[in-house]
Amino acid sequence: MALRRIIKELKDLQRDPPTSCSAGPVSDDMFHWQATIMGPNDSPYSGGVFLVTIHFPPDYPFKPPKVAFKTKVFHPNINSNGNICLDILKDQWSPALTISKVLLSICSLLTDPNPDDPLVPEIAHMCKTDRLRYESTARGWTQKYAMG
Amino acid sequence: MESSEMAVIEYVVAELRDEAAGAGAHVAALAALCDVLAVAADHLFDALPIAEFVARLPRLLASGEGDVPLFAARAIAEVCEGVRPWATSFARYGAIEALRDKLLAIDCIELAEECLRALGVISMECPKECLSHGVPAAVLQFFDFFSMHKQKLVLKIVANVLGDFSAKDAAKAMEAAPVLCNLLQSTDKTILDSAVSCLVLVSDGACDSAQHMEKLYELNAVQATMRLMENDGWKSLSDETLSGILGLLKDLASLSARAVKSLFELNICDLLKQMITYYTSSHSDHNKVQTLVELIYYLMPPLEMCDHRTELIIAKKNVITEQSGYIQQLASILTFIIQVAKSAALSSICYSCVVVIRNIVELSTPSSLVEVQKTVNLSSLLAGWLARKNRHIIFQTLNVSKTLLRKDQKFFFETFIREGLKHAIDAILTQEKGKSRLPESCLCFDLDLETSTDDACRINNGAILKLAEEIKKNFLVKVAKSPHKFGCAFKSIKEFFSRLNCHATAPPAKDQDLCKQLSDFSRQLLSDELPSTSTFEFVQSGSIKHLAGYLSNGTYFNSNLRNCQDLIGELKEVKIRLQKFTHLALSVDNESSVKPLEILVEKLIDALHVWYDSFPVILADEQCTRESTMIPLRDSGTEEPMSLYIKFSRSAREEELEDYGGVLPVDLSSTPESIEEVLLPEICKRTGNETSYKENTQEANGSRKSVGLRNGDGHKFSRLKFSYKGTQLQSSTPLFESILRSMHEGETDLQIDPSFWDKEHKIVYRRRNKSKKISSHSSYNIQLCRVHEKLEMSLLKDPFFSTILTGKLPGDLDESDPSYNFLFMLKVLEGLNRFSYHLSMDDKLCKFAEGCLQEFDDLKVAICPIPRDQFVSSLLTNKLEQQMQDSLFGDGLIPSWCIYLVETCPFLLSFEARWKYFCLTAHHSFMTDEASSSTETKKYSVTRSKILEDASSMLNKHGSDTKFIEVEFDGEVGTGRGPTFEFYTTVSHELQRVGLGMWRGDDTSQECEAGFVHAPFGLFPQPWSSANTSSQGISLSNVVQKFKLLGHLVARAVLDGRVLDIPLSKAFYKIMLEQDLDIYDIPSFDPKLGKTVMEFQALVKRKKFLEERASNPAADLSYKNVRLEDLCLDFTLPGNPEYELVPGGSEKMVTLDNLEEYVSSIVDATLKSGISNQIEAFKAGINKVFALKTLRLFSEDEMERILCGEQDSWASNKLEDHINFDYGYDANSASVISFLEILREFGREDQRAFLHFTTGAPQLPLGGLASLDPKLTVVRKQCDGKVDNELPSVNTCRHFFKLPPYSSKEIMRQKLKYAIKEDDIESYNARDHQNKPE
Repeated sequence: MALRRIIKELKDLQRDPPTSCSAGPVSDDMFHWQATIMGPNDSPYSGGVFLVTIHFPPDYPFKPPKVAFKTKVFHPNINSNGNICLDILKDQWSPALTISKVLLSICSLLTDPNPDDPLVPEIAHMCKTDRLRYESTARGWTQKYAMG
Repeated sequence: MESSEMAVIEYVVAELRDEAAGAGAHVAALAALCDVLAVAADHLFDALPIAEFVARLPRLLASGEGDVPLFAARAIAEVCEGVRPWATSFARYGAIEALRDKLLAIDCIELAEECLRALGVISMECPKECLSHGVPAAVLQFFDFFSMHKQKLVLKIVANVLGDFSAKDAAKAMEAAPVLCNLLQSTDKTILDSAVSCLVLVSDGACDSAQHMEKLYELNAVQATMRLMENDGWKSLSDETLSGILGLLKDLASLSARAVKSLFELNICDLLKQMITYYTSSHSDHNKVQTLVELIYYLMPPLEMCDHRTELIIAKKNVITEQSGYIQQLASILTFIIQVAKSAALSSICYSCVVVIRNIVELSTPSSLVEVQKTVNLSSLLAGWLARKNRHIIFQTLNVSKTLLRKDQKFFFETFIREGLKHAIDAILTQEKGKSRLPESCLCFDLDLETSTDDACRINNGAILKLAEEIKKNFLVKVAKSPHKFGCAFKSIKEFFSRLNCHATAPPAKDQDLCKQLSDFSRQLLSDELPSTSTFEFVQSGSIKHLAGYLSNGTYFNSNLRNCQDLIGELKEVKIRLQKFTHLALSVDNESSVKPLEILVEKLIDALHVWYDSFPVILADEQCTRESTMIPLRDSGTEEPMSLYIKFSRSAREEELEDYGGVLPVDLSSTPESIEEVLLPEICKRTGNETSYKENTQEANGSRKSVGLRNGDGHKFSRLKFSYKGTQLQSSTPLFESILRSMHEGETDLQIDPSFWDKEHKIVYRRRNKSKKISSHSSYNIQLCRVHEKLEMSLLKDPFFSTILTGKLPGDLDESDPSYNFLFMLKVLEGLNRFSYHLSMDDKLCKFAEGCLQEFDDLKVAICPIPRDQFVSSLLTNKLEQQMQDSLFGDGLIPSWCIYLVETCPFLLSFEARWKYFCLTAHHSFMTDEASSSTETKKYSVTRSKILEDASSMLNKHGSDTKFIEVEFDGEVGTGRGPTFEFYTTVSHELQRVGLGMWRGDDTSQECEAGFVHAPFGLFPQPWSSANTSSQGISLSNVVQKFKLLGHLVARAVLDGRVLDIPLSKAFYKIMLEQDLDIYDIPSFDPKLGKTVMEFQALVKRKKFLEERASNPAADLSYKNVRLEDLCLDFTLPGNPEYELVPGGSEKMVTLDNLEEYVSSIVDATLKSGISNQIEAFKAGINKVFALKTLRLFSEDEMERILCGEQDSWASNKLEDHINFDYGYDANSASVISFLEILREFGREDQRAFLHFTTGAPQLPLGGLASLDPKLTVVRKQCDGKVDNELPSVNTCRHFFKLPPYSSKEIMRQKLKYAIKEDDIESYNARDHQNKPE
């Protein structure tokens, strides 16, 4: 079941790719994908290209995929291991969601971080109290790790 | 050797005969005698010419010169120790007097010690003579000079002498009191215990004399004993010593007014309150409680005047009245006594309590009594006690009522009406006039000092009637206000149920408005009026019957069963009513409110307690204390099981049956049902008349295994009727119980006379006539069984639902018994509470189907059940505990009400009581016939490297053995408890290995840690398709073998008291308890799958609803705005593509048209056919050891507690080692310290809720808190508003726990409990705002 669904999503992505994301299997293993996310223009991550790994569980789509950043990101909801604190990847997951929608949600998270539910409290604190410094640091990390 | 010894004896005799010989010669002779006797064999004493010594030795002891007395004493000691009966002979020749005199003279310490040795034996053989000669005082005279060892001998002698003496010797006994009182200050525990024991013996024998009691008081006995008990010192005393001290104080208080005064000065009442609390709750001890109650009684002057006690009564009254503080002390203990009486299992204790209550009430001020009424509702209890059978309790209760009315007539008049006390008195006046007196053991003198058997019972024939009339005439003539109040409550109840019935039949369009109205009205009634309604008013208003009638759709009122035409319709109607009532009963405006169901249950249990006499305790002679930590007995504990001798004879009018003609010894557990199987083959014979006259001593076959294990569903159709003395016997009531009840018709607690077991009891039998009602009932049950197979909801198969559907409790319980209605309703409400999630979720699905709910996210259950322990009846638990203390309980001396409650209403009994019951009765369900001692152990060896294979092999061969199994590891040092514990732990760990194919989640290898399956919501079997016996290198047969091993392991763990370390899911425990599962159980072990399947089910129901309306559903219905086809699901089990739900399932796509089949298939694969092989093997593993159905008396939470222990690791481990503290907190922060203390104090359920709140799952990975990744981190929460108003919150991604810095630990506890509780009902109030996808 999961394999059939994954193949369908891949075909849908290829037929109608999102504007700022791309995704596909890493190799022959259809349960292991890699995606790229373009930093949103209206965010300090603009211009960056972020690599994201995707692992599908065997009971997908009843369980959410495991998604993690491989590129370092300075963000209150993404930690140094690349883990993402996003509700639709946890308790708000539903089989009606797709990888495409997940990637779009991650883009939204980059544009609008949620410091009230932080994965990295230091960044969240900076985001709330010193927005300029947060944006400056995020932009710096983007230039250092997500460009070239 | 013998000849040389005899030569010495002859020499000694010759020397002693020679009067002319000097002291030196006598010393030499006696020394030689002692040397011989010290090493003599037993046969030498037989040859000893004792006649030569019994007269001479005492004389030499008394009047000998020099060392002669020393050796004479030693010789006497040696001889007496050798042949004890000779002590009597020595006593006749003055040995006691001589020994006493030497002790008093204390010329030589060595001589004194030899005298003690001699008296050590003589005091055992001749205690009376010793006492009359003043031995106690003599041995105690120079106590301090003796060595420690000899001091203990002294106290032993005193105990021997004082063991039993008459009043005329009391003065002699009192001579020992001064020294004994001084010894109460000893720091040596053994001496202290012995001194107390001796002092108790003194007071027991002298307690008839006020003079002696006063003297004991003057010796500071009160102060000394109270000093031992203060500052919790009483907890460290031995049980016997504490009992002795309490008995001593009781004796002192009974006869010495000065002792009473001292006790009050020393705050005796505070101490008594602590003890009462201790011995009525965690350390139940009925004998201690009885003693404490008696002590309180003796602190007060008795109310009945005795001519020869006038002076004492006046003196006691003066003590109490001169200090108002003393009366306040007594008043403060009144509520404790009331609580004891409320839950007392025996009438004798209840009676003592009522008498004490009466005395305290007499001494109390009106204002304090009003406070007591408001605190513990004494009037309600009095009404309950007036409903008892025991006339003594009734009489004293009437006295209490009279006193209360005299103290404050206005106030208590109102409460008496409200609580039904006036109604009870009126009932007594009605019943008493036409009542003939029944024999009843007298309790009048239980608390009296004089125990004269000649005294007649004080409650003569007219006493109760006279007292009731007096109360009514003098105090209860006003009736002006009561009709209005009563009518008001009745009207409210009637209106409520009228609206309920309208609600039940309202069409969906109007349902919402009606629901709102009814919700408002019911909230007012259940939340506001019900708490202020008395239990009496609640019962009299007819609430119970109305509610039962409503829920059963009228079946409860109509005893004739409905026709079976529309059974499915009936099921649905009852389910709908349950759902609506569930919503009303479990909804509250805010969390601080008490749920209506909680109040309702409390009222019902209070009402049930009124019918105390429906649950009689049956006692034989012996009592033994049962420990709550006991493990299952291997046999009944008695060498020869007790039997009852029944002479069965045919009814005179019966012609078609043969006369049995013999006496049949039957087991205690035998019932008419089981006896019938034995009798029928004999009495149905029409030929061979000779055989019918032979005495048949055949035991009732198979009846031993029926104790506590009768299956209500297996009730057989009976063909015979039995009667005893004209009364027909209930078919499921043990024969011994029916006979006893008939013999003791007027009694509450049935005491068995030993002759009961010896005489023959005549029972008459005849054929039972068939009736249409029974036939109709049988047909109904057949229909119900057929329908059961088609039902998908497990709720509808549960016994509680059958109860409400048929309007009848299972079994053949007497419906005319007053307790029946309350048991019925409690069973229904308990089931409703337990299935509240199922009922509520099903209701949501139906509302979604009908369009009342529009969003899938609305499919959430907003209510949660009340705690299970709210249903526990302390009185019934105490009664069962009392019954289980009887030594014959294991033989089957179990009243039918015990069996019935354990089987049908286990929720009424505490877990501890049910565990004891299981331990005492489980041996009847053992699968092996081989009996063995409870302490016998058998050892086995396993190899660590292949522990699963060895464990499986060993348990297959020896798992059913009733001996204790101990395990050791090959090649390793160590045996016994430690390695055995490790064996169970290691095997339960190994069964969780990734790759075994046993559990869900086994195939997600990336997720597993350290090679073990991590099931956050508990382990549940992984489905295996019957079409595929092998997958990924694992074979189904191997998986099945592992489940069988697990079954063996579970059974052995229960039997041997071992602990497993395996986090099974609640749903798996339900399977273990043979309960059915359905779709609503899936979320409990797989929340994501459960949620989606539930949403699909909602879609299925909506499609059906629309199709019935002839609409065009296919065009509109979608799943969260996505067409079902676009989900790209096929008919294979999620996560297991090889498992085809239907033939060719991998090629069959899920669509709206086949969604119902898809959902049904997933549920079947997940809960039924996919795991049936594993479950059968697991159950077979348990059944190989003992019958699995014996576990039905426990709940799934309790099974986890039995198997996995209490999980006290949080209390003992260093929590701080496994938790990070950051961002404003460190390990020394005050908030952190309080937080850790609260965590350690959490019970199991709170721990689970905390974990769920913090990590999103109630179970930790294997290895516990230390294995959590990321580590649990407590951070300081930034609060914008007032800190104490904030709630904790979490980040479950990172296991962050955000803790506000509350101002106190108690506030922190409250907020923490609130937050984790909110999480249980899927509320997100306590969570930080989540980022929503745009």
